[in-house]
Amino acid sequence: MKPDMRGETVLEVRDLHTHFFLRRGVVKAVDGVSFSLRRGEVLGLVGESGCGKSLTALSLMRLLPKGGAQTIKGEVLLNGENILERTPAEMREIRGRRISMVLQDPQTSLNPVFSIGDQLREAIVRRKRASHVDVMKEAVEALRRVEIAAPEQRIGQYPHQLSGGMKQRVVGAIAISGEPGVLIADEPTTALDVTIQLQYLKLLKRLQAETGMAILFITHDFGVVGRMCDRVAVMYAGRIVECGPVRQIFEAPQHPSTRALIASVPKMTGPVGRLTTIEGQPPSLMNLPVGCRFASRCPLVEQRCLDAYPAEVRVGDAHTADCWKVTPA
Amino acid sequence: MSVQAHDGGQPLLRVEGVRKHFAFTKGILFAKTLGHVKAVDDVSFDIRAGETLGLVGESGCGKTTTSRMILNLEAPTEGRILLDGEPIHALKGEALKAYRTKVQAVFQDPWSSLNPRMKVGRTIAESLIVNAWGDRARIDERVRELLVQVGLRPEQAQQYPHEFSGGQRQRVALAAALASRPRLIVLDEPVSALDVSIRAQMMNLLKDIQAKDDVAYLLVAHDLATVRHMADHTVVMYLGKIVERAPTAALFDDVRHPYTKALFSAVLVAWPGQAAEEIELRGEVPSPLDPPSGCRFHTRCPYVMAHCSQREPALREVSPDHFVACHLFE
Repeated sequence: MKPDMRGETVLEVRDLHTHFFLRRGVVKAVDGVSFSLRRGEVLGLVGESGCGKSLTALSLMRLLPKGGAQTIKGEVLLNGENILERTPAEMREIRGRRISMVLQDPQTSLNPVFSIGDQLREAIVRRKRASHVDVMKEAVEALRRVEIAAPEQRIGQYPHQLSGGMKQRVVGAIAISGEPGVLIADEPTTALDVTIQLQYLKLLKRLQAETGMAILFITHDFGVVGRMCDRVAVMYAGRIVECGPVRQIFEAPQHPSTRALIASVPKMTGPVGRLTTIEGQPPSLMNLPVGCRFASRCPLVEQRCLDAYPAEVRVGDAHTADCWKVTPA
Repeated sequence: MSVQAHDGGQPLLRVEGVRKHFAFTKGILFAKTLGHVKAVDDVSFDIRAGETLGLVGESGCGKTTTSRMILNLEAPTEGRILLDGEPIHALKGEALKAYRTKVQAVFQDPWSSLNPRMKVGRTIAESLIVNAWGDRARIDERVRELLVQVGLRPEQAQQYPHEFSGGQRQRVALAAALASRPRLIVLDEPVSALDVSIRAQMMNLLKDIQAKDDVAYLLVAHDLATVRHMADHTVVMYLGKIVERAPTAALFDDVRHPYTKALFSAVLVAWPGQAAEEIELRGEVPSPLDPPSGCRFHTRCPYVMAHCSQREPALREVSPDHFVACHLFE
């Protein structure tokens, strides 16, 4: 999407901290995440497992897992309104209508004992009063929108009668039935076959073009990022370490962790040889270093990296990186 | 790679016209056979010693059934599989036990392939103990050596699986597979559950071990980039059939079959604008219970012709060692 087609900021996250308070200590899973999302934009959130990308999404939805997780600091501004201050009842009104989410595994997102029609209807009825006939019509329409063939027949079927790709479409239909301004997609295609994945991503793009919703696309697959996103935010150990337009991040990654991550992806072209790897492990989220979190694995490390966390540096047009060693634009 | 092994040498493993049909039945006591799922239908390929063969395709294409037959966990309905010229499904007793030491496997999910109540040293030693490979001290020594070989520390033999990360567990699984010095390891999606950076480490490790031990791999994977980096030859399957088979470099240079082309274009190339010709397939993979007539791909093929639904295309050589099953190349 061209910059001029993008609209106003619909979601702004400022300095979000979500920690797990356990008997053993505090796990700082999300520790100072900030980003913004404009209307009609797709922002990719990438990083290795355990870097906090899914917990960031759950914090935005206010659906934290049980067991000590708590958002202790920060703001989540949805159209300028901080939803972290809303009551649980108000949140139920916000979820599905203004911000919605699609998870990785369609199998567990759908209830196996209700027909997909029932599950769609639930989403529609919660939003408005209408006669049964009208609701069913709308449910059929919602299935047609996600390109399910013969929706009239499918509507009475149960999740086990649908393929994985179709189930994920139904989940998508439910998620967007309330016409949310923001859709969070947490690895929605990881469980799908590659040709089905391509179909699903194209569908999401088409729906986005129709509705103008903003998408936060969480993935660990750079291929998906290249296909889907306008901008990417790279997370490492609870923080966004680099954020910028897709092309710039791919062609000129600035943060050493982004560079290492991109270099370790097996490519479809170019020489076939040993892959570049990142030695070592990410730091424990219970015992984070005071300095840069990538310092222990960074080839460019020097003393100041260990002494203090680097400030965000503007390295290009709408491109930032948290690193002492980058050259400001 | 081709059935006429042209370098004169005998392949390590030969898969010859293998079919696997599963009956699906109704009723329990007087079960009635309603039909057959042709999970694998006339598949042939060779694996040479010390080489990697990549087996690619989507869910339901028969790649897992094929690898299960090679592991001798499943007997083919028709055709045979030979290791060093010997049919493996005729093996019994000691000979079968010996076969299991020669062919090993590493599966996708490192969380479920290790016994959570067993120290990993014991898991690695298991195949050595079963085969009375040596006394305790020798086995312990071998376990330590294997842990070092896969990049872990010898003292980690005393730890339990939950103490390891996903990537480390996959290394333990690999150490267990290597214990009996196998000639062939079936790698069923060995890196797809791992993070990108860990994935690269595992792929490098597999390559190093192959270079050192001359072990052959059958790499079952859906990720084409992984296959490109690992495999010498690649076989592409669709609904139980081989649709294309070629040396990996030749295949990636010159994709011929429309299905392989679609697979390639579906691979999301990270670098925007790099994807060449884009083919979006309509619909989903048909059910293997009732595969389409003629060419099984004709229902989704963008280049479908009138006779595609009537005649099944044979696998034919379109350039040296590059085989394609498609009417476009007849």
